[in-house]
Amino acid sequence: MTSFFADPRARLAILIAAAASTPVAAQTIAQRLSTADRPVQVIYPTRQTACGDGRSYIGHVFDDSYYFGTDDNTMYRRGNDWSRGPCVHGPTRVVATVFGGEVTRLRVYVGPVPPVSSNVETINASTADATAWLTSLVTGDNARLAASAVLPLVLADAPDPWPLLLRVARDNTRGMSVRRDALMWLGQGAVAHLGIEQKRDDTPDDELRSQAVFALSQRPKAESVPALMDLAKTAKYPSAKRSAIFWLSQTGDPRAADVFADLLGLR
Amino acid sequence: MRWSVAVLALVAAAPFSSLAAQSVARRVDAVREGTVRLSYPARPGVCGNGDGGVSINSRRGDGVQYWGGRICETGPVRVSIGRSEGRTISVRKWVGGRWPSASDATDLGSVDPTEAAHYLLSVAPTIGGRNANEAISAAAIADATTIAPELTRLVQNGDAPTDTRKDALFWLGESDILATEFARLYDRSQPFELREQWTFVLAQRQEGPTLDKLIEIARNDSDVEIRKRAMFWLGQSHDPKALQFLHDLILR
Repeated sequence: MTSFFADPRARLAILIAAAASTPVAAQTIAQRLSTADRPVQVIYPTRQTACGDGRSYIGHVFDDSYYFGTDDNTMYRRGNDWSRGPCVHGPTRVVATVFGGEVTRLRVYVGPVPPVSSNVETINASTADATAWLTSLVTGDNARLAASAVLPLVLADAPDPWPLLLRVARDNTRGMSVRRDALMWLGQGAVAHLGIEQKRDDTPDDELRSQAVFALSQRPKAESVPALMDLAKTAKYPSAKRSAIFWLSQTGDPRAADVFADLLGLR
Repeated sequence: MRWSVAVLALVAAAPFSSLAAQSVARRVDAVREGTVRLSYPARPGVCGNGDGGVSINSRRGDGVQYWGGRICETGPVRVSIGRSEGRTISVRKWVGGRWPSASDATDLGSVDPTEAAHYLLSVAPTIGGRNANEAISAAAIADATTIAPELTRLVQNGDAPTDTRKDALFWLGESDILATEFARLYDRSQPFELREQWTFVLAQRQEGPTLDKLIEIARNDSDVEIRKRAMFWLGQSHDPKALQFLHDLILR
């Protein structure tokens, strides 16, 4: 049986529907935020793989073993010293701090939603409304906000936002932080698209290949970026390819966007 | 007038040679309690601000150097040794500057730098911690004949604290030991922290034999984590052989 989302016509229909409703939907959430006198949490459906504990971390954004701390936005792999709660699939919750009608900060959570509180206003949004709002933030002028809206956008249970993130990554007029975040998620998306996610511990040989790629990534940019671009495209071992894609995504170099576009089949 | 100045300079330079028969160790050991001071010439390339800041430059630059707005003096190395119950319990060093005038410390004056270095390395294994670090570095910056054999013994001393052995290894790598001989000293049975330090120190030498050793460690060491450390440092090398090794490992 073909999944609904795997059918190109269905995806196209969703995209058209989302595009058509964008201005109104974005305005709806944005309008409600502009009149809010306290933090607002926007809750919407999460992509199928992602999970979290609803308060401190998000995991499996793609079908991999990576986790992100929601407080410090650090990326890590679950290890033996893991002491956090279970990773539960649930809605994405973006808590927006509003000051004078302007959103000044976003924090994102996945998983169990905390009990309703009078300190926070809640908007239960459709995926289309949420992605339209987040798209407007990612493409907006506030560089810090734009960067912090990338992960919430990727988390939405919607068609992948790669075309938008490619535009952002290639746009020299945008701030480095949002371009870097866009590249980072494009890289993760490419890894998922190629089916080379890290799902379990590497073998020692894989670890060493990854480390060798990391060592090359620490060379001066003039050397490391071309080497990583080449490895991202041609390395035959998944661990080496995955590592090259990751470190390439960390360079912030706009040439990485072209490599990721190729890997995602979008060029 | 000029002659008298020259004679005074010669007399001032004489003490450490005329007292050579009485070793630094014996003179320090003669003090049971309190502080012992001594000083000796620093090796070329070393200077300090007299206040704990030390600069070590392998290129012997001409002209006056500065450290934080103060002249970086090329010596002497001044060492203060704390003694308690007949044992050395602390060591601190400075380069340049002067001792405070009022003190009840026993001042040995200017001593032979090689003897001082040997003494400081001999106490390093037992005092440990920062004191050992100070003792080893004070020895390493002395204008002494080679201390590589003493440093080697300290690196290989399994009874010494690992941090002290790591300090000794660092300075051994910076010493005049031949790269081939140095690379041969790598020992897989040493503690992890020491082998980790080896990868760093080998990389700092930037010579053929040490690079070959680093590649050998990255290729063959039984400990994957040590191999990874070696790879990191190979990535920092300017030698094409190092980069070729990394590429081969990724693609093979």
